[in-house]
Amino acid sequence: MRIFRQLAIILSINFAGELLSKGLSLPLPGSIVGMLILLILLITGVVKEAHIAETANFFLEKMPFFFIPAGVSVMVAYQLIDGHLAGVIGTIVLSTLLVMVVSALVTQFIIKKKNND
Amino acid sequence: MIEALTNNHLFGILLTVGLFYGGMWLRNYFRKNWINPLLISIFVIVVLLQLAHIPYEQYMQGAGIIHDFLGPVTVVLALPLYRQRRLLVKYKLAIISGIVSGVLASLVSVLLLGRVFGLNDMLERSLLPHSITTPIGIALSNDIGGIEGITVVSIILTGLIGASMASVIFRLLRITHPIAKGLGLGTAAHAIGTSKAIEMGETEGAVSSLSIGVAAIITVVLVAIMQIAGWY
Repeated sequence: MRIFRQLAIILSINFAGELLSKGLSLPLPGSIVGMLILLILLITGVVKEAHIAETANFFLEKMPFFFIPAGVSVMVAYQLIDGHLAGVIGTIVLSTLLVMVVSALVTQFIIKKKNND
Repeated sequence: MIEALTNNHLFGILLTVGLFYGGMWLRNYFRKNWINPLLISIFVIVVLLQLAHIPYEQYMQGAGIIHDFLGPVTVVLALPLYRQRRLLVKYKLAIISGIVSGVLASLVSVLLLGRVFGLNDMLERSLLPHSITTPIGIALSNDIGGIEGITVVSIILTGLIGASMASVIFRLLRITHPIAKGLGLGTAAHAIGTSKAIEMGETEGAVSSLSIGVAAIITVVLVAIMQIAGWY
């Protein structure tokens, strides 16, 4: 029974996020508005971790399973990538390395500067 | 004959569950972290559907039900963020500055490299969320007119590249601080990067896990600002 209460809480927050996103024409997707709502509810203590724990942990641990159907849609986009495969992979590799270098260097610079002050 | 089997809700569900189980089994059997059950499942399903001439829509009759759970999957991402909140408060300046600069580097580099490599607009939009966690990446991709399948595959590749290159990059650039390492891995390579960060140490893992959520929120907000401002 606890699992169903937890699922009902999570789905209600998801639903509220969708309604808010559509109703107020927010520039954020509904699921992300739902995530922000849950974060606020957790911080304010309205929702306690125990209210959602088992169900949330299930989704968090098994998360990749839920991405499979979205990933399979790559088959209907094949013509789009055709001829651009090298460019797509080049963009992903270079951008990933750049993000890691920039974010880690900026963080280390600020932490060291703070320690020296 | 085949039509009768595939034109059925259970077909897509069973195929997805069965292949993910197979991928997990392979990973456990060979005990190799780089074996990615998600990538294996996607690849095998695409090949099977193509070979048997089964349309994507028929697969989605059942698989769409699994796809619909992306909403609650995204909502519960608030939990790891909430669990690491003390870390964020303690190092707020360094963490926020590091992640904002990383996200800016990601968005700008995708748009610039897209021009350099001559990628069309739709491909660029599909690749913009490549560094963020998959459920939010899918939502963002759909929101800005990308193709979610390209986004998912680009996110997995990003994770594998980031996790495998991190040690070399950190050594070359003398990135030694555990918070900087964890943040770099989580911001660039989301959950796959975080499993590498956990191998490096407890602080690295915790910061990386925090960075996944923060980087995703900042990315979504910055893309929304870019759209409202008409820069993109």
